[in-house]
Amino acid sequence: MQLDQRFQVSDDVVAREVAGEMVLLDLASGLYFGLDPVGSRIWDRMSEGPCSLADVCDLIEAEFDAPRDQIESDILALAAQLSEKNLINTAG
Amino acid sequence: MLELESLPARVQPALASAPYDRWVTPEGEVKAEFHRQPEGFLVRFPDEADFAIDLVHRRAAGWPAPETTPDHFDSLFRHGVLPMVGNHLGGLFLHGSAVVIDGQAVAFLGLSRSGKTTLAGALAKSGYAFLTEDVIELVPSGDAYLLKPQRSKLRLFVDSAAYLLGNEFAEADLDDDDKHSVAGGDDLPFSDVAAPLARLYLLGRDHDAPLAIKALEGQAALTQLLPHAFVLDVEDKPRLKGHFCRIAELSERIGCYALDYPREYGELPAVMTAILADLEQN
Repeated sequence: MQLDQRFQVSDDVVAREVAGEMVLLDLASGLYFGLDPVGSRIWDRMSEGPCSLADVCDLIEAEFDAPRDQIESDILALAAQLSEKNLINTAG
Repeated sequence: MLELESLPARVQPALASAPYDRWVTPEGEVKAEFHRQPEGFLVRFPDEADFAIDLVHRRAAGWPAPETTPDHFDSLFRHGVLPMVGNHLGGLFLHGSAVVIDGQAVAFLGLSRSGKTTLAGALAKSGYAFLTEDVIELVPSGDAYLLKPQRSKLRLFVDSAAYLLGNEFAEADLDDDDKHSVAGGDDLPFSDVAAPLARLYLLGRDHDAPLAIKALEGQAALTQLLPHAFVLDVEDKPRLKGHFCRIAELSERIGCYALDYPREYGELPAVMTAILADLEQN
């Protein structure tokens, strides 16, 4: 997985923010997942339309107090998990 | 919501279609199978009953299996089919019992055999009338919800009935694994008036856990509520989305609490005291 890869959220996922945290329901599997506040912000950004992981890193760097390399590492890891569970798809 | 035509008992025929969904217990037992039919759905409870659901005309036809008692057949329809259809049609139904405490509804959600009916019965015996034993039907009312009463009976295993009522159940066969219908009355008062929902308690799965009440916030509340809802068509994505959003709104508007306690009859007085104190404090 690379930072210049573009992703979009799956049409099969419905998301709901509850008390600042996101809960995702995968309609295809019936499974649900929780995201912490940073993960929720990342999901928000991806929900706005296809974007690269670098775009997401820029957003998180602007809004949260964390070193860039840590942000990139965390977002690559989260994107890999979301992709593996088919919650996000690669976008053209 | 759905009119039932009860048809004569029959041996369940083989079905041409493959089920699009199944309810399977953790032990692997199939409790229900869901089939599509031209006019709607057929829900099969293996060796118990079939229900053909015609949503266009809002009616159902049901066939008990030969060994199924009328009371169990009625329970399968009321507690299994009706809530699923209700959610499918945009309602809000959960698996649980409820009582009235100080004019407000307090609900207990739990899986089968989690003790929710016994707990509601114990509270009823203490003077807090029960509203329902197995199905929570909620009607939005502004930012709140009204919990509607269901039928005025509790279906209890014989040991629970003996604990709550003594009398004819005191010498019953404790190996009897069937539930028995007990009518509400002076000993177990029933309320036939809808009450505003004050709180949801989710009964823990560990039946040996010590008594504890813990608030569930945000994600935890929503994800722990979802398994207690009923879904008829897991492949109908627009309806699933709507259902998910309704449960999410419920989790945001009503306090949700995890309730653990040892499933021993001698512990129930302490459990009820803790619930009443929790309601008083919060």
